[in-house]
Amino acid sequence: MNFEQQLNRAITRRTLLGQSARGFGSVALASLLGGGLHGATIGQGLGTHGALPALHFAPKAKRIIYLFMSGAPSHIDLFDNKPKLKELTGEELPKSVRGDQRITGMTSGQSKLLLVGPAYDFKRYGQCGAEITEMMPHIGSIADDIAIVRSMHTDPINHDPAVTFLLTGNQQPGRPTLGAWMAYGLGSVNKNLPEYVVLLSGGGGQPLLARYWGNGFLPSKYQGVQFRSTGDPVLYVSNPEGIDPATRRELLDGVQQLNRLQLEAVGDPEISTRIDAYEMAFRMQTSVPELMDISQEPQSVLDMYGAQPGKASFANNCLLARRLAERDVRFVQLYHRDWDHHGNLPNELKRQCGICDQGSAALVKDLKQRGLLDETLVIWGGEFGRTAYSQGAISKDSFGRDHHPRCYSIWMAGGGIKPGITLGKTDDFGYNLAEDGVHAHDFQATVLHLMGVDHKQLTFRFQGRDFRLTDVSGKVVEKLLA
Amino acid sequence: MPEAIDFNRDVRQILSNHCFACHGPDQAKRQAGLRLDKQEHALAVLESGQRAIVPGDSKASTLIARITNPDDEAAMPPAGSGRRLTPREVDVLRRWIDHGAPWKGHWSYLKIERPAVPAVSDVAWPKTPIDHFILQRLQAEGLKPAPEADKATLIRRLSFDLTGLPPTTADVDAFVADNDTGAYEKLVDRLLASPRYGERMAQKWLDLARYADTNGYHIDNHRDMWRYREWVIEAFNRNLPFDRFATEQLAGDLLPGATLEQKIASGFHRNVMVNFEGGADPQEYLTKYIVDRVTTTATVFLGSTLACTECHDHKYDPFTQREFYQLYAYFNSVPEQGLDGQKENPRPSIRVASPEQTAEAAKFAGQLAALESRAQAALAQETAAVPSAAPPLTAEAREYVWVDDELPPGAAPDGKDSWQWVESPAPVLQGRRASERTATGTSQHIFTAAKYPLIVGPGDKLVAHVYLDPANPPEQIMVQLNDGGGWEHRAWWGTTKIQWGVENSPSSLPMGPLPAAGRWVRLEIDAAAVNLPPGAAISGWACTQFGGHVFWDKLAIVTRRPQGPSIFDNQETWELAERLRPNSPAPPAVREPIKLAPADRNAEQQRSVRDYFVRYFYTGTRATFDPIENEIAQVKKSQDELEKALSQTMVMEEMPQPRETFMLVRGDFRSKGDKVTPGVPASLSALPAGAPPNRLGLARWLVDPNQPLVSRVTVNRYWQQYFGTGIVKTSEDFGTQGEWPSHPDLLDWLAAEFIDSGWNVKALQKLIVMSAAYRQSAHVDPQALKHDPYNRLLARGPRFRLDAEMIRDNALAVSGLLDGRIGGPSVSPYQPPGLWEEIGFGNSFTSQSYVQSHGADLYRRGIYTYWKRALPYPPMVTFDAPNREVCTDCRARTNTPLQALVLLNDPAYVEAARVLAERIMKEGGAGVNERISFAFKLCTARAPKPAELEVLTRVFQAQLAKFRQRADAATKLIGAGEAPRPTDLDTAEWAAWTAVGNVLLNLDETITKG
Repeated sequence: MNFEQQLNRAITRRTLLGQSARGFGSVALASLLGGGLHGATIGQGLGTHGALPALHFAPKAKRIIYLFMSGAPSHIDLFDNKPKLKELTGEELPKSVRGDQRITGMTSGQSKLLLVGPAYDFKRYGQCGAEITEMMPHIGSIADDIAIVRSMHTDPINHDPAVTFLLTGNQQPGRPTLGAWMAYGLGSVNKNLPEYVVLLSGGGGQPLLARYWGNGFLPSKYQGVQFRSTGDPVLYVSNPEGIDPATRRELLDGVQQLNRLQLEAVGDPEISTRIDAYEMAFRMQTSVPELMDISQEPQSVLDMYGAQPGKASFANNCLLARRLAERDVRFVQLYHRDWDHHGNLPNELKRQCGICDQGSAALVKDLKQRGLLDETLVIWGGEFGRTAYSQGAISKDSFGRDHHPRCYSIWMAGGGIKPGITLGKTDDFGYNLAEDGVHAHDFQATVLHLMGVDHKQLTFRFQGRDFRLTDVSGKVVEKLLA
Repeated sequence: MPEAIDFNRDVRQILSNHCFACHGPDQAKRQAGLRLDKQEHALAVLESGQRAIVPGDSKASTLIARITNPDDEAAMPPAGSGRRLTPREVDVLRRWIDHGAPWKGHWSYLKIERPAVPAVSDVAWPKTPIDHFILQRLQAEGLKPAPEADKATLIRRLSFDLTGLPPTTADVDAFVADNDTGAYEKLVDRLLASPRYGERMAQKWLDLARYADTNGYHIDNHRDMWRYREWVIEAFNRNLPFDRFATEQLAGDLLPGATLEQKIASGFHRNVMVNFEGGADPQEYLTKYIVDRVTTTATVFLGSTLACTECHDHKYDPFTQREFYQLYAYFNSVPEQGLDGQKENPRPSIRVASPEQTAEAAKFAGQLAALESRAQAALAQETAAVPSAAPPLTAEAREYVWVDDELPPGAAPDGKDSWQWVESPAPVLQGRRASERTATGTSQHIFTAAKYPLIVGPGDKLVAHVYLDPANPPEQIMVQLNDGGGWEHRAWWGTTKIQWGVENSPSSLPMGPLPAAGRWVRLEIDAAAVNLPPGAAISGWACTQFGGHVFWDKLAIVTRRPQGPSIFDNQETWELAERLRPNSPAPPAVREPIKLAPADRNAEQQRSVRDYFVRYFYTGTRATFDPIENEIAQVKKSQDELEKALSQTMVMEEMPQPRETFMLVRGDFRSKGDKVTPGVPASLSALPAGAPPNRLGLARWLVDPNQPLVSRVTVNRYWQQYFGTGIVKTSEDFGTQGEWPSHPDLLDWLAAEFIDSGWNVKALQKLIVMSAAYRQSAHVDPQALKHDPYNRLLARGPRFRLDAEMIRDNALAVSGLLDGRIGGPSVSPYQPPGLWEEIGFGNSFTSQSYVQSHGADLYRRGIYTYWKRALPYPPMVTFDAPNREVCTDCRARTNTPLQALVLLNDPAYVEAARVLAERIMKEGGAGVNERISFAFKLCTARAPKPAELEVLTRVFQAQLAKFRQRADAATKLIGAGEAPRPTDLDTAEWAAWTAVGNVLLNLDETITKG
């Protein structure tokens, strides 16, 4: 074995262990190896430099596109039709229904909690006859491809802790997000693009924090990378003015030659990793702008999404999500942040449906027609639901709804999800769960399961404890599985 | 496989990892009565009659039986746990039992005893006692230390480690040329004395302290905390002993006669995030802040994880949930709010003056004193009698206009937009302008505190003029009057929309339908009907509307009393007004006697009342006193502005009456359990005698020499700073789940040495860097790499990538851009536009839009970069800087393509390359080789080898040729950044050197401490 080979062997090992003596590594890995993944040895397994030497189950999905509806869309007005609530509009929420549910400081001072029915009518869509608001006809048109979960529930009642809880399994900051867990556990299947990509719709609404795509206690390389529609599509991916791609290559060659000389002289395998990283950076300089350029799409595709090249929009991001899926990016998270309708809900809801309906549906259709839906899990939903009672006065065309964690609706499609079903029930008020509750941790366990991962066995030791996304609970929701 | 089994090194973690969850400290979860974390329990006869561990007899020990038979139903760990012992682990346990199952307390909880320095056969290599420990282990493993690194490498390594900056070329040359045997030590001493040392050390501490410039959570707006950062830098520079460093940060405010600096230091635990998300529960967040203080204290000082004990007893370590809340009680009496920080710093926060500001304040105080003397002197001369009685009422009522184009003197409008003056062509009744308002709900024009109130006479009427927009009329209009006692004097027109006062009473008097729209209408209110009897003094007025578009003009009184400034031509009227004046600034010596009838006052009281009247109100003396008062008002205004300009910093304080502390069931802030009082974990040392039951007592306990953890944890963390990994790799966890130290005796020796030195931080740094272990070459031998991939045994010197801040500082330093100022507020370097805005919540909150700095502020060290928790400065995050939401003990060190993109393309680094190019051309000599060597040495502290020179020469020549042909590209490249551009350089050459600079700043060696 010559020096180079020896080095490569060492590098393989170090790379697998996170390229760092301190980042993570032997402890976490040992616990994984001891955790039921027998027979796998370092360097074998997934071959993707992830922490998991092998998947725990045959994966149903290869990747995830998560359309995160920040601010919390109203389940009562979108996916969970409550005719009785319409009749009861103006009546008080019965104490027996409210039970011990917490109420936010925004409505706890109201003298009365008056019920208010859905803002718009519902329609039945598809062969399955799923009930969806008439404001979302496009999503209606994919009713047979999606599973609506009407029985999601979560713990927190405010935005920041609820988004954090849904994506990291814990209300307080500090833990990795779903996408970071994926990147850590499964590594990368992509030589030209990051494994965890984040797209923001633009426009106002609830504030976002980079923590929502953060790495928590995992090394920073597992955090989501924002792909942007204005400026550099990835920060600093563009060469400075005066440096064209050919010049960049020449300068990079200089860097690499000098780094190789240094590698020979010092023998530190870290240098070799850096040489590889610079090559991928160079490839990204081509692959990222090419990916982001949706003007190359046929007009018919742009029309299907309602996409307009050149600006940040939810529709554009849906199309980009498909392009990322085609390029084997494992986890794509979109944030659309204007669903927090405390007042003027009928108008605001209509406006958001107008923005989100077409692109969301087009994504599912487009993935399907390209044969990608089966292996791509699409998730659509927010951090909690909204109250059956109004925040503020109810008038003919205006009312508001406060935060409600006890039940809400999301939908999922593709990637091992049973299509054309509506799972779970809530009571007549859309206030309490009635059947098949899916807690945030169950949701997380199910998503990991679809990716071939046992949520109990994807762990990372931090401060003496083997942490996992689902904390200490979570059950896979079998009824959702195809 | 170790020859002899050591319980702490070999056995405890196996038990902890696989068994403690059900057979450990957590009483609630304990199964079968078996507890394996304590010897007496582990060896006892169980409920089943069996014994888990029979010393000397592994065959009789049920523990071994259970773990060796994985297919058995009774196998341990249980099938569902996903855990299984490896054959090696089983073997260790078996041998340990067969050797009598010797037991020891967990090593890190034992009192620190200084071990003897081991004797080693090679007496030449060791330079410090540290090296004896290192060499002993190397020899045991059959390894040899590496030779000492060359001097250029050493000075670069030392400079980064002790100052965070590269050495200058002159420093390198001087050190290399210095053949004195003490040259190295001199260098160490010089670097430790550099003020850059404090910045370097502070950078690490700020991660632990979770220092940031924003409040974190939901909206993440600005907070002022940089005074705390400055304190940390300064504390390291003056080598504040660690025990005091810790005490002042935990309880600086509680030290007897606490200085301003000590109060600032107490901000350590105010660095917690603070929330004000709409609708959030204040109690919930208050709880989170205190929980964070407990867990951070545990991580920073105890190297222990207490987070789990918020909800239940610890699964691995001897800490109970009750003890968690006992620690919580120490931090539970800060007078803070659960939701705060929306506008200014979350309370409690103090303002801190700079030396210049202190001087300014003294100047103002002097001016005020001089003006006061002038006023007193003038007062002494005013001996003429003043009329005491009010003139009689006039026979006829006349109209006195109070508000027309201006508010009356002294009037304080509520909010900056409450009077919106408009001129014609808008409707104006008289004079130049009227006040306009469009509203969707209740909205008002309002002022209070008029200096000359309206004094109501018998039968007086109050008058307002209103113009309603016919296109958008309001639903209700209202006039409200303030008599010093409040606003309960309201008259309104239209329909009831505004729910103030009691309808059909003087506090809400209906006057009929809305007046006609589209023209000015005079509204008249009988003063007595709104409970303003003769003698009442009206000092505030509000014109209120519900919805619609309304203009107001000419507010007046129809009265038989004299009004306006001349009302104070007699003392009686003034006294009447003064008695009703809200928030009167008059001193008690005036306020008290004025309540008495004049006849009931003594002479002194009479005089003070009269003097006050003469000085501030009497019409006859205005010409004397108004100029003085105007000057005083000016100075006070400047004082106010100064006060507002003072930076704030959050501090700890204690409530006069401490809050009671209750355990929280499962950590839920709504479920109170038992009441607890402050206390420390029983498994560690006891509180020192006389420790008060507050944070100061906690601090005393932490730095008590009997405390087993603090010194071990601290020296380990410093060790980690130099070698990349601590002697205990899990520097944040010294518990049973933590890793066994690579050199346990060395750790204890250092910990004892640290305490015995009086917690001398600089001495400890010196001790480490003086060691032969530290001075070794970092060259990686493939054989050694295989044996010890992470260099835990230190058969070579440390080599790893620089921290995020250092990478930035290095580029600024080698290019000559670095701005050397120490301390001060955070600065905002170049950042791609829109990043904050696209996640922010709009500009009604701070820190939602990025405002880039200019000039020297662009080139300050990374430690001064604005740290926004929701989205920290991206180049720094890319190089593994944490978001500082929570305490970070150790940054992971990654190696990614995004890092390459930052160094290649971030304008900050392109600018650094451009300015480095200027330096190369001006200082680097004449020839290409000479210039390349100059630049290479700036970046790496060494001369390039021929092969390296050749590569860089090729790069330079190729780029020069290209830029000669493409002047536009050259001009663009040297256009990078805002630093001034010299005018005397050849553009193509400049661009080519910039390209070379870009290559150099991207070298692995440039960003690595070797």
